[in-house]
Amino acid sequence: MLKLKLARHPMMRISCQHASRLLSQQQDERLPFGQRLRLRIHLAVCTACSNVARQFAALRLAMQKWRDRE
Amino acid sequence: MPNDSAVNPALEFTQLAEHRGYLLRIARMELRDEHLAEDCVSDTLTHAFEKRASFRGASSLRTWLVAILKNRIIDLLRKQWREQPLEPSPSGEQDFDALFDASGHYAEMPSAVADPAELCQQDGFLAAVQRCIDKLPKRIGQVFVLREVFGVDTKELCKDLELTSSNVWVQLYRARMMLRSCLEKGGFGHAQTETR
Repeated sequence: MLKLKLARHPMMRISCQHASRLLSQQQDERLPFGQRLRLRIHLAVCTACSNVARQFAALRLAMQKWRDRE
Repeated sequence: MPNDSAVNPALEFTQLAEHRGYLLRIARMELRDEHLAEDCVSDTLTHAFEKRASFRGASSLRTWLVAILKNRIIDLLRKQWREQPLEPSPSGEQDFDALFDASGHYAEMPSAVADPAELCQQDGFLAAVQRCIDKLPKRIGQVFVLREVFGVDTKELCKDLELTSSNVWVQLYRARMMLRSCLEKGGFGHAQTETR
């Protein structure tokens, strides 16, 4: 419940669109603290973006495999 | 530390050429041009052979060759992109508006991936990824492959290719979102038997 409250707080609230951009950016560099926090809170309550996070993770892993194979 | 450095000057051309197939594969993926890819790889091998004394053996031979190839490709793309700047598409995010509803939520639920590692083991998944990469708009695909295959970080991308950081983020974001939907269409997760 606390998570939900936090996620709806105007200071913490981000859209899925924004969250997805952060998810991508996070694969390339470390996000500033505030953004990292907002993203985490959003992911805790959002299934859609959690799915996207795993899709991105799979993509990253696939690229690694592609790179490592002979 | 093993004294690898002692053997380096004796590096044979054939040892370098063993990696030719791999280098060609990644060069093709990056450049989408068979001849250009072959030229870059031949240059890379020749250059590497000339500079073989500078190979320290701290990294693997392949890593060293990939780094040389990467520099060739970046020089080439910088020139190409200077002559042909990206068409003015201000933010490039309009394309994705349809994915989100008015409140910024996903209009359609992205499909669940139980286990990314397991997904990557599935037959056909890597091939599907490669097909989807080949379908990306050229410039976006090139930035993505430089990032993910050649391991160029975003700072280098900005500096070496004269791009702004927001431009690089947008391109990588677009690439990943397009790949995501391309893989979803191909049954992301469910090893799609060849339907095409």
